Amino acid sequence: MATLTIDGIQVEARNGTTILQAARKAGVRIPTLCYLEDVQAIGACRVCLVEVEKARTLVASCVTPVAEGMVVHTNSKRVRAARRTVVELLLSDHDGDCQTCDRNDDCELQSLARELGIRDITYAGEKSKGTRDTSTPALVRDTGKCILCRRCVAVCGEIQGVAAMFPQSRGFDTVVGPAFANDLDTVTCVQCGQCAAVCPVGAISEHDQIDEVWAALDDPDKHVVVQTAPAIRAALGECFGYKPGTLVTGKMVSALRRLGFDAVFDTNFAADLTIMEEGTELLTRLKKALVDHEEVALPQFTSCSPGWIKYIEYFYPDMLDNVSTCKSPQQMFGAVAKTYYAEKIGKRPEDIFVVSIMPCTAKKFEAQRSEMTDSGVRDVDVVLTTRELGRMVKQAGIDFPSLPDDEMDAPIGMSSGAADIFANTGGVMEAALRTAYEIVTGKELPFADLHVKPIVGLAGVKEAAVEITETVPEWDFLKGATLNVAVAHGLGNARKVIERIRAGEAEYHFVEVMACPGGCIGGGGQPRLTTDAVRKARIRAIYKEDEGKQLRKSHENPEIKQIYEEFLGAPLGEKSHHLLHTHYTKRERA
Amino acid sequence: MSNTRCHVLVCTGAGCVASGALEVEAALREAIEKKGLTREVSVVPTGCLGPCAVGPVAAIYPDGVFYQELTPEDAPEIVEEHLLKGRVVERLVHKEAADGRAVESMEKIDFFRRQHKNVLRNCGVIDPQKIEEYIARDGYQSAAKVLAEMTPEEVVVVMKQAGLRGRGGAGFPTWLKWDLTRKAAADRKFVLCNADEGDPGAFMDRSLLEGDPHSVIEGMIIAAYAVGAHEGFVYVRAEYPLAVERLTTALNQAREYGLLGTDILGSGFDLDIEIRMGAGAFVCGEETALMTSIEGKRGEPRPRPPYPANEGLWGKPSLLNNVETYGNVPLIFLRGAEWYASLGTKKSKGTKIFALAGAVKNTGLVEVPIGTPLGEIIFDIGGGVPGGKNFKAAQIGGPSGGCIPKQHLNVPVDYESLTELGAIMGSGGLIVMDEDSCMVDVARFFLEFVQHESCGKCPPCRIGTKRMLEILDRICAGKGEEGDVERLIELGNSIKDTALCGLGQTAPNPVLSTIRHFRDEYDAHIREKRCPAGVCPELVRAPCQNACPAGVDVPGFVSLIGEKRYAEALRLHRETNPFASVCARVCFHTCEEKCRRCMIDEAVGIRQLKRFMVEQEVTVQLPEVRDSEENAQRKVGIVGAGPAGLSCAYFLARLGYRPRVFEAEPRPGGMLVQAIPAYRLPREELAREVRMIERLGVEIETGVRLGADFTLESLRREGYEAVFLGVGAPRGIRLNIPGEDAEGVTEAMDFLRNYNIRGSVPVGRNVAIIGGGNAAIDAARTAVRLGARTVTILYRRTRAEMPAYVEEVEGAEQEGVLLECLVAPTEIAIENGRAIGVKCRRMQLGEFDRSGRRRPRAGGNGEVLFRADQVITAIGQSLHPQDFLNGTPVELNELGFINATAAAGRTTVDWVFAGGDAVTGPGSVVQAIAAGEKAAVAIDEFLTGESHAFWRLARKVDTFFDPNADPVDYPRSRIRRIPVERRRNNFTEVELPWRESTALREAKRCLRCDYRTE
Repeated sequence: MATLTIDGIQVEARNGTTILQAARKAGVRIPTLCYLEDVQAIGACRVCLVEVEKARTLVASCVTPVAEGMVVHTNSKRVRAARRTVVELLLSDHDGDCQTCDRNDDCELQSLARELGIRDITYAGEKSKGTRDTSTPALVRDTGKCILCRRCVAVCGEIQGVAAMFPQSRGFDTVVGPAFANDLDTVTCVQCGQCAAVCPVGAISEHDQIDEVWAALDDPDKHVVVQTAPAIRAALGECFGYKPGTLVTGKMVSALRRLGFDAVFDTNFAADLTIMEEGTELLTRLKKALVDHEEVALPQFTSCSPGWIKYIEYFYPDMLDNVSTCKSPQQMFGAVAKTYYAEKIGKRPEDIFVVSIMPCTAKKFEAQRSEMTDSGVRDVDVVLTTRELGRMVKQAGIDFPSLPDDEMDAPIGMSSGAADIFANTGGVMEAALRTAYEIVTGKELPFADLHVKPIVGLAGVKEAAVEITETVPEWDFLKGATLNVAVAHGLGNARKVIERIRAGEAEYHFVEVMACPGGCIGGGGQPRLTTDAVRKARIRAIYKEDEGKQLRKSHENPEIKQIYEEFLGAPLGEKSHHLLHTHYTKRERA
Repeated sequence: MSNTRCHVLVCTGAGCVASGALEVEAALREAIEKKGLTREVSVVPTGCLGPCAVGPVAAIYPDGVFYQELTPEDAPEIVEEHLLKGRVVERLVHKEAADGRAVESMEKIDFFRRQHKNVLRNCGVIDPQKIEEYIARDGYQSAAKVLAEMTPEEVVVVMKQAGLRGRGGAGFPTWLKWDLTRKAAADRKFVLCNADEGDPGAFMDRSLLEGDPHSVIEGMIIAAYAVGAHEGFVYVRAEYPLAVERLTTALNQAREYGLLGTDILGSGFDLDIEIRMGAGAFVCGEETALMTSIEGKRGEPRPRPPYPANEGLWGKPSLLNNVETYGNVPLIFLRGAEWYASLGTKKSKGTKIFALAGAVKNTGLVEVPIGTPLGEIIFDIGGGVPGGKNFKAAQIGGPSGGCIPKQHLNVPVDYESLTELGAIMGSGGLIVMDEDSCMVDVARFFLEFVQHESCGKCPPCRIGTKRMLEILDRICAGKGEEGDVERLIELGNSIKDTALCGLGQTAPNPVLSTIRHFRDEYDAHIREKRCPAGVCPELVRAPCQNACPAGVDVPGFVSLIGEKRYAEALRLHRETNPFASVCARVCFHTCEEKCRRCMIDEAVGIRQLKRFMVEQEVTVQLPEVRDSEENAQRKVGIVGAGPAGLSCAYFLARLGYRPRVFEAEPRPGGMLVQAIPAYRLPREELAREVRMIERLGVEIETGVRLGADFTLESLRREGYEAVFLGVGAPRGIRLNIPGEDAEGVTEAMDFLRNYNIRGSVPVGRNVAIIGGGNAAIDAARTAVRLGARTVTILYRRTRAEMPAYVEEVEGAEQEGVLLECLVAPTEIAIENGRAIGVKCRRMQLGEFDRSGRRRPRAGGNGEVLFRADQVITAIGQSLHPQDFLNGTPVELNELGFINATAAAGRTTVDWVFAGGDAVTGPGSVVQAIAAGEKAAVAIDEFLTGESHAFWRLARKVDTFFDPNADPVDYPRSRIRRIPVERRRNNFTEVELPWRESTALREAKRCLRCDYRTE
């Protein structure tokens, strides 16, 4: 422990902690910009500078460790002047068209300038030439707005292990971007949008498609349906000032109706469907391996996360057979909406317009994949992120907090608690186990409250072993077997799991991967800024939603039973295979 | 092995290689073989000898003869003459910068003689590619001793006693770095060498690696042993292929000899060293960036702590020292810490290598003890500034360094002293700049460098230096604004305080240090839109015109002369300077000093062309006058009919004013008539131009003295709305030595004035004149003409420091005047109340004073008496304002002259303006003319509220110029003078005008720097 003085306050701090951490503990707020807890502390932006007595220059508090007897001033004249100069310099090179920027009012640089009382820019001058990169369906990069804080670089390189972007050139010409200042679509960007999620300014954002949705809503010939992903309900409230982790399912449904959607459905329905298909696929693989002794790819990887899919297509193309052939819930929903539901209401697939509300930017890419047209037309037409939905609601003049609660439409609106937890890391695995275990053993999954404790939480890689002591006769070959599962979230963790598998250090049967840290609740399309505290709050809310449901398991969902009876037949049957499964592409790394 | 009788050491450092050393080496070998001397003479390719500018160079031993600027064609002659016949080839030996004297022996050449080669002891002596030669010079002895006899702790103790500090720039105590790394606990440690030398103009690390790589390796072995590292890297830039090649060879040889690898010399200590090449990013010289780069990542600094001693390369304790630092280490253990600590200053031990570059005669690599005064390095070793130019500043420490002006030439070059002046030791780049360097432009150059080399990580460095650069660009382009300098200072200080790494924290140094020492130059750019050094293209139409205080359109009138359009030429001249005829004779012609033709051969003879031009004038043409009834009514008084007052009157008259000039002496002209003798400026020539001014409506009243016959207040009462004070500095300064008031002692101004105005002055037989300025020379040459038998000038410094114009000094000498330099008068010797001579102390030049000249101090030879029956003192001039100000609150400066702005001549009283010698102290005629013009413009502005100076607008001269034609190749025409024997006993003008053909030829020599493509 070290004792130091910060602004006259005596503070005890563990050795190795930074001045910033110690100050926060002492209730002293030091402004930061490039700093991102658990992701990046590099002292690059110089906003968190503080004065340490006897030090030659000001020091960046985010990287300077505390020392015994240190005397720190965070608000001296020297510090205030320096901070102001630094931020003024940033502003002087920032394409600051605040009024038309999608980060207006949600911009860390703007807040910082306001907080520091900057009213004019003393050192105006040339601005970096900005370029807009719209090469991907998911993301838009505007280097003119980039302040080179490098959060995107850290999250892409260190958290996701993709490293699609990094700093290049020198001096005033320094830019952050893909190699050789090329566009994003030339590199191995998986479009997960984690960069956009951490960007403090409007330099990286989702590709805004609100107007496409308005156009569809305004088209009298279109029957516009909307699906909302499980993670939306625990985060959308943040767009309207609610605390992270506030569930707003009912208001969300109301808002969507008021926006003019013809039907409001739940992706959760498709999540339940996914469990039926993916669980069956896993059991089939196991049967092939154990009974038929066929060559079969194990472990099976989940396939719900399009960022993860693109990642494995780029980085481990030889392992694509391990990935479940199930489409993601979003795409299953689209296919079903334009066939099963279309038939029910007597419309042609082309008359139906499917909008998804997703926590994810990669979903925008996924919806455009050429294989996602099994209904005969594009299965999902437009994907909006949580942030876009928030803006759309505001555009419509809807006063969100005063909305009444409403419910999803039938027949593809009902879902189980198992579907809700798709939003969380570990959730897909837990949902699958709830169903698969019961199919195999005829008994409920033996975990308190049905939560598979070892795979709950924010540890990067989680493992669980589920013993199967007895079985129904059909699955007796699994008697005595132990099902080994693993869960990884964040692509950097996925890489670790894959490398362990490839090195023979671990044997799993089923592995859940979600591209974003925390799972979909921490998706690249969620309200900013997603910290671990926010992730935890959203996860808690999702589990609460699950626990509050009568139906907790996918196979118990009556609408699921109905669709198999009326339309699909059986899981992995011919129609399912056609509509609900897909294949993957080996992608070259540039 | 045979013993050769002679060694020819050919420098094969990169500099000499670039100028053809390898060809010279081959030619020497061939010539030696041809003469069958192969067994007797060996040719040794060595590292850098130092004087790179005169490469290729070679030294022949045992004779110690140094040859320079060799070509392959010289080889046969050297072999035939020197190696075979033992005769030194005179034409190839070194010529001293100071006096052009040829010096054969290396030991006697100033450049080498005054150096102290420790680290460079083997450079230029051994073949760097042969480990045996290094070992023969006690190489690896230190490493062996350390590994065999010492503990790591003991090694650190010796280093501490030696007091070596890091040569990379910051001067951190080397032992401490070693000790911290030694104490850091880790399974793996690294020893690293920083050879990412990136300062513009610095190449000491490269030279050491090229010339003596083993000394660096040995230093690293000792360091590695001390800190417990078994892996080493030398990070060297890829732009140094020769250094990489020689280092690679050296590492391989060291491995072969068991000096690297496992169990070195049986000590049980293991170490291997690898080379890592950097792509040439300046920032990779920063330690954390260097390590990041070795790790294979983008070379960017990271915050410290953690320091490399604890967490460096790959997170392991790492010791990083600079090439030169390691180069010092073997010596410390070879000769002992005590010996080492005996060199240098109290806080900075040992020697330091500097790369001397820029405006200095001997450029190259020099090694001197730390604490050597800057002036000694530049003048004694470097030979001073070439081309007769004045030293202006030394940029030291590279882009992170600062500029040191001439006032501080005495500064001991050590870490603390340099930092105090806003510079740093840095890696030792030392760029000398002369008067032709614009300090704003210099600051801009360095800032542009760091801006390009900034890694872009932190905003202060990435954006802040850009903003500073933009301000500097603006200032250089003449678009600077009031407050820009303050902005630069504020932003610069802020960047120093906030940037992430050393690069950013020092980036503003060149700007801040030039502002600190050359603020007036910034102000000239901003306020007067003028680049005094004549560099900034947007502000400088042509360097000659820029250098002219009066801004005369030199290329304009010269080219008009070239087309025989003499009247137009003269008219153009008088647009900005009425005294064409005066200036044709007495101007100190800074225009010629700045003439770009100098780069080809010699300056255009501008003053002589002007002389020719004025000779063509038959009747005086009046310049353009803009009549104004209102202005004619306004009363403007001008006190003093010298060049400043008359010029002020001239320009006021052209704006329609009718100024009245009050002159105390009986004749108008001021110093032009009182001090400057007629042999330089015939009286009728001056009178002609004075008459011209009178014809514009200017009234000159002579014989009325301010303070006696009238006062400023009386003028005010009489309705004068503005007054210009051009009263000059007419009084001499007293020597304050005994005997000064004796009969026979007179003051130069009185002497000259008496003769020039009153027509006679007593002159002694043997005249001694004390002083070295123009007044001293004028007095001397006047005395010669008035019949003095001997005239001796006594001057306390040397001839080079004399403020008098060189031509005048030469003229005086031709006429028999004797110069006694380095003598300081102590007493006027008196007999019977009459002066009989001057007692002087012999002087020698000591340290540098604030003017950048060496200060004379008492020499050894005691006193000497110069006999003279007349002593004329000429040591300066002064103003006695109390005689004429009568309480008008016109402020004075600390030297007792009138405080007036340079740009407008404004004094502290709004209706009183001043200019010329009364403001600046004794200056040149054209400066006074310019001051008069400025005051005229300011008076007009004061009276009317706006400026009407139409003559200031640039005129396009329609003379023909072919920009694609080569310059004419003939040299400058000589000045014609009447023979010396015809100058006695008369005051006939000495200089003669050129003939027309000569003038026309000379005019064509102008390069037309004013020419612009549209």
